[in-house]
Amino acid sequence: MTSSSKRKEEIQAVNGGVKLSTWSKALRCRAAWDEKDEFLDVVYWIRQIIAVILGVIWGIAPLKGFLGIAIFCVLNAAVLYVYFSSFQQVDEEEYGGLDNLLHRTALRLKQTEGLFLLLFRRSEWDRGASRVEDKYTRKRLNQSDPMHCHCDL
Amino acid sequence: MSTMFADTILIVFISICTALLAEGITWVLVYRTDKYKRLKAEVEKQSKKLEKKKETITESAGRQQKKKIVTVVSRINNSVLFYPQVRMKSMFAIGFCFTALMGMFNSIFDGRVVAKLPFVPLSYIQGLSHRNLLGEDYTDCSFIFLYILCTMSIRQNIQKMLGLAPSRAATKQAGGFLGPPPQAAKFS
Repeated sequence: MTSSSKRKEEIQAVNGGVKLSTWSKALRCRAAWDEKDEFLDVVYWIRQIIAVILGVIWGIAPLKGFLGIAIFCVLNAAVLYVYFSSFQQVDEEEYGGLDNLLHRTALRLKQTEGLFLLLFRRSEWDRGASRVEDKYTRKRLNQSDPMHCHCDL
Repeated sequence: MSTMFADTILIVFISICTALLAEGITWVLVYRTDKYKRLKAEVEKQSKKLEKKKETITESAGRQQKKKIVTVVSRINNSVLFYPQVRMKSMFAIGFCFTALMGMFNSIFDGRVVAKLPFVPLSYIQGLSHRNLLGEDYTDCSFIFLYILCTMSIRQNIQKMLGLAPSRAATKQAGGFLGPPPQAAKFS
């Protein structure tokens, strides 16, 4: 029996004797992972999901300014840390250390932040939009009214 | 209110479409060619080999072992040098398409506030986020800033979903297509 097939059998045994899909393993406590990349992909997508959820919550809350972004970064890292250290109980060194898992997982933090900010601002449009529209509507009306002096709003 | 919401949705849609267009052009001109497939397979194979060797290397590793690692790193460097050549055509095509598209979208959304930012951007970003907008309210967002943000989040996710993103080992060793190649000297 080759070493790779033996390893696969061991992994299946840890996973309860059945071959699980990636997401089934992601939701299973202390699952064994065939490939490092598979687990890192799961962590990547979890980050995206957290970014979407927190972006919407922050927008509804509303939590403004860089404090909101900072809290998002901290929460994102904290949730992931709990996931891979307590839930999956993986060896951080095997995956390149804590820095790699928290910050460099599959294409860097900025993609996650981009998604978070996109959802964050989308939830904010409702609050800001009416103010902006009023300002520009007033400006347009003033410009079209010949009797009104042209002054800044 | 509905106009701004419609603009936002439209820009997200534009971002998704341009990301798909870029990947489509790259697939037609680069990804499906035999040359690229061979190159990518070689880099991934050597990268995985290097990762395995690095795991087993110890402080007292012999010269033979270190020499093997240097050989593998050199092979990766040689392969990586070909990446820009292979991708040249797609880079030109994408650059040309996007210049035209961005020119068109900029003229469509010129002077329009497409979103409200929940924060005031840093001063060196305000030139981008408040581009061609009236007033001093820097939470007003212009098209280009929202588009950049959308692209940042959407493009890489689309690449990953379509399975077009390079493997982590290859990215780490190759340093990205335009990044510096890995240093062999530290293993000598």
